[in-house]
Amino acid sequence: MADYDRRGSGGSSSYNPKKRRYRDDDDHDRRGPRRRYDAPPHVRIRKQLIAIAENPMRPWHEEVQAIVTLFTDNWDDELLRSNFVDLVLQLAVEQPLKTPFVAAVVLVANGNRPEAVDMLLAKLAGRIEETIGKGEWRDVKLYLKLLGCLQGCLEGEGVFPVLEELFERAVDLQTASSEDTIGTEIVKIILLTLPYVMASAPGQWAQKAADLMEKTEIIASEPHTLQTLIEPYQPGTGEDSPPQSQSLIGLLQTQLQNEANDGWALPCLPRPWEFPLGEVEQRSKLDDAAKHALPTINIPQTVVSGPRPLFPEIYFSVYANQDVESVPPVTNAAASLIRDALLDTINVLDFNRNITARHLIDLDCYFAPRTFAARATPFDRLRDIEPPKSTWKPEDVAVDAVFSQLLQLPNPEHKLIYYHSVLTEACKLAPAAIAPSLGRAIRFLYRSSPLMDLELTYRFMDWFSHHLSNFGFTWKWTEWVDDVYLPDVHPRKAFIAGALDKEIRLSFAQRIKNTLPDPYKEMITPEKEKDTPDFKFASDNAPFAAEGREIAGLLKRKASDEEIDAVIQRIQSQAIDREIDALVASTDVFVTCVLHVGSKSLSHVLAAIERSKDRLADAGAASDAARAQIISATMAYWSAHPGVALVIIEKLLNYSILTPETVINWALVSRAGNTRGEALAAAHVCEMVFNTVMKVTGRVRQLVVKPSSPASDADESETRDREIRAMRALFAAIEDALASWATGSKDEMIEASDSEGNNDGEKMVRRWGQRWLRVFRRRAAIEEAFLVEAEKERARRAEEQARSGEAGVEGGEARMDAD
Amino acid sequence: MRGPRCTVERLDQPSAYFNSRNKRRRFDKDQRDGDDDTNMQNDQPEEDPLKDAATLYVGNLSFYTTEEQVYELFSKCGEIKRLVMGLDRFTKTPCGFCFVEYYTHQDALDCMKYVGGTKLDERIIRTDLDPGFTEGRQYGRGKSGGQVRDEYREDFDEGRGGIGRALQARMRAGSRDRAGSRDYDEDYGRGK
Repeated sequence: MADYDRRGSGGSSSYNPKKRRYRDDDDHDRRGPRRRYDAPPHVRIRKQLIAIAENPMRPWHEEVQAIVTLFTDNWDDELLRSNFVDLVLQLAVEQPLKTPFVAAVVLVANGNRPEAVDMLLAKLAGRIEETIGKGEWRDVKLYLKLLGCLQGCLEGEGVFPVLEELFERAVDLQTASSEDTIGTEIVKIILLTLPYVMASAPGQWAQKAADLMEKTEIIASEPHTLQTLIEPYQPGTGEDSPPQSQSLIGLLQTQLQNEANDGWALPCLPRPWEFPLGEVEQRSKLDDAAKHALPTINIPQTVVSGPRPLFPEIYFSVYANQDVESVPPVTNAAASLIRDALLDTINVLDFNRNITARHLIDLDCYFAPRTFAARATPFDRLRDIEPPKSTWKPEDVAVDAVFSQLLQLPNPEHKLIYYHSVLTEACKLAPAAIAPSLGRAIRFLYRSSPLMDLELTYRFMDWFSHHLSNFGFTWKWTEWVDDVYLPDVHPRKAFIAGALDKEIRLSFAQRIKNTLPDPYKEMITPEKEKDTPDFKFASDNAPFAAEGREIAGLLKRKASDEEIDAVIQRIQSQAIDREIDALVASTDVFVTCVLHVGSKSLSHVLAAIERSKDRLADAGAASDAARAQIISATMAYWSAHPGVALVIIEKLLNYSILTPETVINWALVSRAGNTRGEALAAAHVCEMVFNTVMKVTGRVRQLVVKPSSPASDADESETRDREIRAMRALFAAIEDALASWATGSKDEMIEASDSEGNNDGEKMVRRWGQRWLRVFRRRAAIEEAFLVEAEKERARRAEEQARSGEAGVEGGEARMDAD
Repeated sequence: MRGPRCTVERLDQPSAYFNSRNKRRRFDKDQRDGDDDTNMQNDQPEEDPLKDAATLYVGNLSFYTTEEQVYELFSKCGEIKRLVMGLDRFTKTPCGFCFVEYYTHQDALDCMKYVGGTKLDERIIRTDLDPGFTEGRQYGRGKSGGQVRDEYREDFDEGRGGIGRALQARMRAGSRDRAGSRDYDEDYGRGK
């Protein structure tokens, strides 16, 4: 028996062979079913704390009380005590939806074991100081949220002095520069902390809050200079104007003002520290619990922007302007508070999308009861809900939050595919609830896609096709059937074409065709259903057909360079006779043959390119026209499957057979020119240019952040400057090419409008030009901002190094003196 | 590794398969090494073979899934450096797995988190961190030339050639064969 007792409280139960033997000797089996093994208390408390509030059937105060009892009963267990503090802090930054509940455990525990709160506050203050120092602003916010929830047990003014000092920094930064984003971030954090403070200590701090908000007003209400850069919509010149987007902190400021006028009711926030009126003892215990002094939190004079570049934020919703409010309106603080908690959950938990999805589905567990309508209430039934009951659909609120990230400019925190995967898992967990919400989001985005920023339209397209690929490619295509008859250059038709192409890339043409209503089927041409494209030299109608077949044969049997040279010479001399560019002609034949020989799979074509890379590089280096012809031939050969062409072009860029300029010129000057600008409507053309730009900027970024060693510094900075110059030149070339499309001053456009008076088409092309231009201007601006930040960082590091170097030298001298 | 244990499980950890193989190897070594004290010291500097891994094993593909499809999906986590399709030893056709190599470890981790367990070509695919492909590496493949799991599978999987090949062969031969000598362990066996 003694043995069992020891096991019960013995902390980590390591495998003990002796125990086994003892049990074997002593016949315990007769006592009926095996005795249940009880985990040690520190394990149980970890489990319970992590799972807090997950079970909607369990009243909050009971759950909180149970954990506190387990905690105080085992107070002597040192492991349990220290683990508890660490776990509370960890939960605050890993599962932010649970912060108020975890705080409730701390507040109730304060009644029995006030020293636990002191232990926690000491560590919490340290963490806040540390994260401010590093510029890890989300963690700052999440720790402050926990601290805010503890305001009720803090001495003096509690959190307010910290918020006020933070505000001082924000003012300094904002006065110094109108482009400052750290100050904006700090104001956001202050405003998002305030509601938790007010909910934790109701009725006490109204004046303090009013004073603070009077100060934040100036910064929060002023539109940020960078805001135009990150607007999700691009207003056209047409009659339909997009919804006006609003800055997050501007909205927050007015929402909280409303709350202040309403006595800080904040009805959506959970208050798990409040016990029912019947529990008199608990209530008075809470009221009489000890108050604690908040340890000093030192905030450095200069704060840094941290590991992630900061941008002002915009509040985006796919469910705005519906006839029934299925999400909180932007006038209500709930919109910002719920969104904020969800976004933190989503972005923190990127390492387990299943749990993220679980939290999104269960989000009504973490807010006050009656904040939302019942789960899975169909949208049409929201109309029947009688006020003042809530019509907010939890699924809509969850889906809205994910889309706000997927469609955040300039970039969300994680790769876009993470947000795809969250929606996929949410849909798998609760298909009947989530799928209809997604459907309405899709319809909204499809309708507004022509007005959206072009980059976002393509993000939507990419998500849409990927999402369908996870759910059997089922979509009610019949809804959009009228748009199939629109001209290809129309944004909605272009969207359909692009989405179908992406679906086919993830699947195959026949499969996708079977999911479509008849009118769409014509968009999937017979070429797309072929395993490999036709070889144009198979028929004698093509010029140089015989030579093409010959080269293909030579490549197949891996013939020597000389043999291939001979045929190429023949092509070139024939071309000269026909007065066409000899090098372009031979390059076209050769590239087409390489592609044909490698048509079986990407491995095949990459191997074929690898074998002939010298010849391709020579051809490309010989003239701009020949280099452009490499792309033309590739795009022509794989015209039915542009995805394959794009991979090949990416690899050709890696081999430096192509240059980024070649790609940009091919797409924006020749290809767009040959199609009177209609190529600008093709998703894959934009994808090609975008990928190329990202490759260039990615390389520059890599060079810029690379810590330089003093030895190779000169070399490195030269490479760096060269690459930066090249990047700027590339952006300038894009700007040049696009500006004329955007203003309609392109020769091809002027000709077109002269001859046909094709007004609509011309207008649409101009609009495409404008949308493209916005995307790449933004990219350019972001890279410039990145360079500025990196330069600052380099200067800071150099200074640091110099200082530590000096110290070292001085130290050395001192030692010599001593000798 | 990455600080304290997370409050939720991480999806970018190597699978139980990899760990069990490694542990077994380590355990054998420990047994040989002798007493506990030296083990403690030896355990510390043990290099994690996956700490910079940029390669993923991808499993449960359909035999009909093409490289292009794999490229399209896996590029969403970063540029692919190399893709090696697992081919049947005899027919030289895809046999349901591949290796995807990225340029960075982070891309591979992201792929574990965001792609593993989602669908490609309408099948739930599996990803696992892998120490990397080296030329001449052979994979555990069964007698018939494909992956071992496709030898004795009793369910009908259209994307992977119907029921297990061994069963098919047995049915064809019409003879009773004993299914005793199963060798699940060699499913994509490493370094053999």
